[in-house]
Amino acid sequence: MLEETLVLFKNVRQPGYSGDLASYQSSGGYSALKKALKMKPEEIVNTVKESNLRGRGGAGFPTGLKWSFMAKGTGKPSYLVINADEGEPGTFKDREIMLKEPHMFLEGYMIGCYAIGCHHGYIYVRGEFVPAMQRLQEAIDECYQSGLLGDKIAGSDFKLDITLHPGAGAYICGEETALLDSLEGRRGQPRTKPPFPAVAGFNGCPTSVNNVETLMNVPSIINDGAEAFKELGPPNNAGTHLVSLSGHVNNPGVYELKMGVNLKDIIYDIGGGILGGKELKGVIPGGSSTPVLRPDEIDIPYDFDSLAKAKSMMGSSAIIVFNEDTDVVKFLYRIVKFYNHESCGQCTPCREGTNWSRLMLRQFVQQQGTPQQLKRLYRVGGNMMGTTLCPLGDACAMPLRAFLEKYPEEFQAHFAEAS
Amino acid sequence: MPTFYLDDQAIEFEPGEKIIAAAKRAGIDIPHYCYHPALSVVATCRMCLVDIVDMGNGRPAPKLMTSCSTDAAEGMKILSQNEKVVEGRELVMEFLLVNHPLDCPICDQAGECTLQDFSFEYGSGNSEMEYSKRVYGWRDIGTFVTLERNRCIHCTRCDRFTREITGTNEFGVFNRGHQLTVDTFTDQPMTNKFQGNMADICPVGCITEREFRFKKRAWKLKKTNSICNRCSTGCNITVEEDKNKVFRFKPRENQEVNQWWMCDDGRISYRDYGKNKNRFLQPMGRVKGNLVKASWDQIFEALKSRIADLSPNPNEVVALSDNFASNEELFLLKKMLADVFDSDKIFFPLRAWSQHETAYPIDSLITTDKSPNRAGAIALGLLGDEDDAKLKEALSETVKIAFILGNPFNEDNEILELLAKAELIVYIGTENNHWTEKADVLLPGQTHVEKEGTFTNKNSRVQRSNIAVKAPKETKPEWMILTELIQFMGKDADFHTSRAVFEAIGASNDHFKGMTFDSVGDLGSLLTSI
Ligand SMILES: Cc1cc2nc3c(=O)[nH]c(=O)nc-3n(C[C@H](O)[C@H](O)[C@H](O)COP(=O)(O)O)c2cc1C
Ligand code: SF4
Ligand code: SF4
Ligand code: SF4
Ligand code: FES
Repeated sequence: MLEETLVLFKNVRQPGYSGDLASYQSSGGYSALKKALKMKPEEIVNTVKESNLRGRGGAGFPTGLKWSFMAKGTGKPSYLVINADEGEPGTFKDREIMLKEPHMFLEGYMIGCYAIGCHHGYIYVRGEFVPAMQRLQEAIDECYQSGLLGDKIAGSDFKLDITLHPGAGAYICGEETALLDSLEGRRGQPRTKPPFPAVAGFNGCPTSVNNVETLMNVPSIINDGAEAFKELGPPNNAGTHLVSLSGHVNNPGVYELKMGVNLKDIIYDIGGGILGGKELKGVIPGGSSTPVLRPDEIDIPYDFDSLAKAKSMMGSSAIIVFNEDTDVVKFLYRIVKFYNHESCGQCTPCREGTNWSRLMLRQFVQQQGTPQQLKRLYRVGGNMMGTTLCPLGDACAMPLRAFLEKYPEEFQAHFAEAS
Repeated sequence: MPTFYLDDQAIEFEPGEKIIAAAKRAGIDIPHYCYHPALSVVATCRMCLVDIVDMGNGRPAPKLMTSCSTDAAEGMKILSQNEKVVEGRELVMEFLLVNHPLDCPICDQAGECTLQDFSFEYGSGNSEMEYSKRVYGWRDIGTFVTLERNRCIHCTRCDRFTREITGTNEFGVFNRGHQLTVDTFTDQPMTNKFQGNMADICPVGCITEREFRFKKRAWKLKKTNSICNRCSTGCNITVEEDKNKVFRFKPRENQEVNQWWMCDDGRISYRDYGKNKNRFLQPMGRVKGNLVKASWDQIFEALKSRIADLSPNPNEVVALSDNFASNEELFLLKKMLADVFDSDKIFFPLRAWSQHETAYPIDSLITTDKSPNRAGAIALGLLGDEDDAKLKEALSETVKIAFILGNPFNEDNEILELLAKAELIVYIGTENNHWTEKADVLLPGQTHVEKEGTFTNKNSRVQRSNIAVKAPKETKPEWMILTELIQFMGKDADFHTSRAVFEAIGASNDHFKGMTFDSVGDLGSLLTSI
């Protein structure tokens, strides 16, 4: 029977834990910060590098490596910006962190800032997350009051301020360069790269954008060491991660699991099986943009590399389960409609392709599909793949192609009578 | 210089240069929409795809790359014509046309539209989109340009223009996804003085010049290189005409003068040409108070005998010119005064002027100095001062003969009154004005677009304008009128072309030393300062 492995949520799972500063500190909180402030910044970057921590925002990019790319000696300030925009459908773990254990994230964030020499941190929070933002702001205020933030943090010579910045309701502002544009007060649209944020990010300064959960891993890496962290998962997929489990399972929620546990076990042991005792029809393994898996494809380890091998992605560790009653066509229509609505519109294939795909799918939903249109839908989807400025085009195309490949019969069932 | 290879052709590049820019310098145009050398790179249209088979490190790029945003690298091997690239462009074209109305027959851009061009080259010709196309509401954005948003391909050049080039920010991008659109902010009309350039850089017929709307199919227009003569900047332009009628002026790239731009005032100054409403088209002489038409020979003969009758002293002959006369015209006017009358009393209006400078270089085009050849007049040694004191002093003495070229000093009645006392006023120009009312002899010249000549701009750059349309039959270019006048008066002037006049300037004036029409070329060349 698969169970949670508690590192990030070790306090959260304690009954009566409030998550305020006092409760966090009484369970050993901020000891990693104090330890880190006595280390050299490069040592911290190296430790994170050695730990094999990979970003939890979706792309799984090695965090230590990202930090080491930051341009040095530019004479400009460096920034570590936190991506708390959490917009990918199916993902709801950063909100959980901000609501329940804001200090562990903040501690990691402070260590990260110290490691890359950032003196003013920005947290870009999804605008709809009002309670989470309030909770996080309270935690920040507590830190200022107790000297953990400000001119001399935790009694060191390191100066750090942290500012919360609410988003305004655009999914695309979760893409790191769109986030930076939005943070600078402009229209949130992905930038063309190069230059990469590590060279010219926030206000043209060297910047690293990282996910909330990514930073939350840092305190335990500093306290317990890189080796201990690595041991928590298969090679190259270190640590535990917070999995958002939703859809037709009996126990939806956020669970902390070791990397590399069996996906099927997550659904049946942790999730308590399929809702209403129905048959499983499919699983979207990493947020709505990742290619769907059929029931016979889910007996695999749940980590970055295994999912890639299965021609899907672990993305933001968001598992969406759907049962036999689900109309796959409608489901896909809803997903494509989302990406169409959230496309920033600046690049041609995504602006036109997401809308065209939506219109075609709507016809299937209305029971008016045709074989020719099915072929065209597949072609148009493919034409968005790898041709756009940012990965949102892929995010629409990948589920589209995968659903069409794996459930052709469902689409045929939506052909118009005459065909 | 480092080198990369585009379809096997070696191309040198500056470190940091984008592939598309280096290719362009080598004369190769990679199809594109959003890229413009004046604007920041956004890489959004996805048209400029190339296949980088070797990134310079022996490895190929993982997918087709946009050449507008990819830095050139030493030893890169790039293919821009292979099947993969053509296919990539085809699919971008398909997406661009999905919602495009393809109303070329009623679109002013047709003929100079890159969407039309590339859809011919890369389009399948039939859209598989079976839904009704996107329709944006009609917007009136005010003054100089019109907006037909259904034709927009969302390249955002216009948006970047008001942000990065004029800094006026009155225009921008709204909404997102397939509803993305361009518009002015808060329903205000456009305000910048360079709006016509937005029509130029809009690759399709979304932003077009209101002035040109439905007037002419662009492919019928013949273009002649010239310069704008509305101010002393002298923006390089093409004069575009059909059947001898000028339809528009368009800026012509000159990095030393106007880059890619021109101002809206200069652009609509095309209106001044071809109307001929207020123009006199034949030589005329005053007989008993009335102007009567004459042939050129008759008028020159009459003039010659009248001058002989008057037999003026050198200080009794003056010439006045405006600042719209070319270097050649001023040179010959001065030469005539000197050779025929031994007079050096040739005046032009020298006015104080100022240059507005801002953080946006385009603002330096517009100046208060509306005289396209003031600098030429100075270099050629004409007389002038800010309050016309020297001129008034000369006019306070007896003036028997006055030559007027163009429409100088027309703001000052005192000068007109003083000169009215002259016994012979010879007017050379094109239009009836207060000088022609007083003049005894009218010699019909030609307009800026009908003749060739050189002008010296505010930064001492000598630039050429060329013959764009045929002049009315009885008129002559001013350089020819002056040459013939000198010859009639028995002096030497052996010029058969304005080119020859300019060479004479180059041979005799140190500022213009060694200059020829050819050395000035299409982009101009600087005066020598002495
Ligand atoms: C369309 C789009 C939306 C994204 N949304 C988010 C998001 O909501 N939260 C997030 O952390 N990363 C998001 N990302 C990924 C970020 O661009 C970036 O990779 C991430 O924040 C890096 O953090 P990490 O290295 O810690 O994973 C998104 C990416 C794309 C293309
Ligand atoms: S892929 Fe879509 S969201 Fe991304 S930049 Fe292009 S239009 Fe915008
Ligand atoms: S109006 Fe023209 S320049 Fe502006 S975005 Fe549309 S197509 Fe581009
Ligand atoms: S700036 Fe001067 S020269 Fe240039 S277009 Fe305007 S009026 Fe003509
Ligand atoms: S010109 Fe390169 S993407 Fe538009």
